[in-house]
Amino acid sequence: MTNFRLPKLTFWRTVVAVIFLAGAYAAYARFALGFQQSTNLADSQPWGLWVGLGTLCGVGISAGGFAIAAAVYLLGFERYRPVVRAAVLLSFLGYLTVIVGMMYELGLPWRIWHPIVMWNRRSVLFEVSWCVMLYTTVLSLEFSPSLVEKIPWVRLRELYLKWHHHLLIALVLIGAILSSLHQSFLGGLYLLAKGKVDPLWYSSYLPTLFYLSAVPAGLAATIMAVYLCNRSLHARVDPRVLAELSQIIAPMLYVYALLRGIDLVTHGGAGYLFKWREESLLFWFEIAMFVIAPVLLLSQSKVRNNPNALYGTCALVVMGFMANRLNVSITAFQASSGFYYIPKWTEFALSMATVTAAGVAFHYAVIYLEILPRSVPAKNWMTRHPATA
Amino acid sequence: MPKSKAILIDITKCIGCLSCEAACKQLHGFSQDPEPKLSPTAFTIVEEHGDRYVRRMCMNCQDPACASACLVGALKKTELGPVTYESSKCIGCRYCLVACPFNVPRYQWSKLAPFVTKCDMCYARQAKGQSPACVEACPVQASIVGWRDEILEEAQRRILSDTKYEKHIYGSEEVGGTSVFYISDVPFEKLGFTKVESQPMPVLTANALGDIPTVVTVGGGLLAGLYWITNRRKLVALAEAAESARSGKGKDPHHD
Repeated sequence: MTNFRLPKLTFWRTVVAVIFLAGAYAAYARFALGFQQSTNLADSQPWGLWVGLGTLCGVGISAGGFAIAAAVYLLGFERYRPVVRAAVLLSFLGYLTVIVGMMYELGLPWRIWHPIVMWNRRSVLFEVSWCVMLYTTVLSLEFSPSLVEKIPWVRLRELYLKWHHHLLIALVLIGAILSSLHQSFLGGLYLLAKGKVDPLWYSSYLPTLFYLSAVPAGLAATIMAVYLCNRSLHARVDPRVLAELSQIIAPMLYVYALLRGIDLVTHGGAGYLFKWREESLLFWFEIAMFVIAPVLLLSQSKVRNNPNALYGTCALVVMGFMANRLNVSITAFQASSGFYYIPKWTEFALSMATVTAAGVAFHYAVIYLEILPRSVPAKNWMTRHPATA
Repeated sequence: MPKSKAILIDITKCIGCLSCEAACKQLHGFSQDPEPKLSPTAFTIVEEHGDRYVRRMCMNCQDPACASACLVGALKKTELGPVTYESSKCIGCRYCLVACPFNVPRYQWSKLAPFVTKCDMCYARQAKGQSPACVEACPVQASIVGWRDEILEEAQRRILSDTKYEKHIYGSEEVGGTSVFYISDVPFEKLGFTKVESQPMPVLTANALGDIPTVVTVGGGLLAGLYWITNRRKLVALAEAAESARSGKGKDPHHD
């Protein structure tokens, strides 16, 4: 214990500490004072930021794990292998934030296990809850070798890794199917709210649209995470791998935009496109960020091959994706409910703290585990060394 | 559904005395203060629209959106007609509030262990053969209860026998039919009634849920097939590499 030092006070550590403090107060407000004191939710807006951002964006942005794992292990795209572990870890942590989010989003979180024994096969939410449970298990198994390979007992380690190797293909395949199901069913949740959801967002193709938008957002988030690791955690992933990965995003956004456009015209939502109202402005804001700007930017090799520009473009994709999910879950309900919902600061604080915790966990996982190829060896956490991050 | 109960609310007869509200609050042990809107302590309320009074309550749909939404099956359509809520199952996800086309369910936002609240047509009383408290309290029979088919016939008889009535029974077709009907001499849209789908709401999600077997079998088969191809290619490449190494001619293993 002679090596013990107080952690240095850096800018980012201060930011993280402030976010955690605010989150701690928000958690106190939620659990000791209740929804009324900690949220601006109401009967006409029963799902707010915690569902729109925490669940819909959390699950969507975590789509990179299944997509890249399937590409590498099932389709043989070996060149993405250097980033597969980072993608799986990002997804795993993403789903953990969703489950932690459930603990404050649900009114009676101590009953979160109820869907395991109380079934309603007609409920889309029932299917989502089962898929999320199973897929989080799959992700924890996919991620587990990163931890197990650090176990000092050789025989146990080798035994586990051998079995894991045999099961991996099945896990990735099951993961891809479970993901395809619940990524789309999150959109399917809103099918039932026909008449309440604004025509610019309601569609009988909501499940397909949610699926088609989650995959590019998940890939963009993975590119961002790996870029940041390259920049500040000594990761050594060839930027060309990221550039190549980004080339998949634009065609996916094309397909998404095409389906959404056709759907708007055939469902009659197109008539609202150019009406002067807040919903239409937010629609164009979403489309500009999620589709138009990224498609234009990613079509230029200048942008794809410049890591900074690529990072910025991927940030646009992720933010545009978030705009879409928040529009579906909040903006689209405003006109029909006549209720103008703006989240309380405690709602933001608790969501921010959850996401930040995942970010911190990712940071230390990259340092202490073999997540990405790095120019410095992973820290050995089994022997006592002072952590200097 | 064999024989189920339904309520008919005749807007032309309501005098706005609020006896129904009071009886409901008394039955559930709520404070007697009248409330302007449905709330966790007001399962039925009377709205004023010009000189008409419209009593609101849960429509107790035939195929309820809330019951199909509820992931743990806490909300159920009973054979007797009422849509009941089993609070011991509820996890507080509030999808029923999102799903309800009539915006009826209310949430106990101020409680630390909040539940969903709504009218269940006095299921407990009706199971014992009694009328719902609100219907029993009505001094002018603006609300009546009976077997659903007979109540529907009565509503039909009234709107056909008197020209003042709008020629529509609200609830007969709305979301595939409900267990609460309204008849009126003023167009329904002027009384704050929502225009809803004519099909039952759960139909909207049934199609998506029906796709699960296809996604699992076709998607799974496709991915498994693609994996088989990649794996086979890899094996072939390995075998070829081994072959060329054995022949020792230094031939390029990637000749194709």
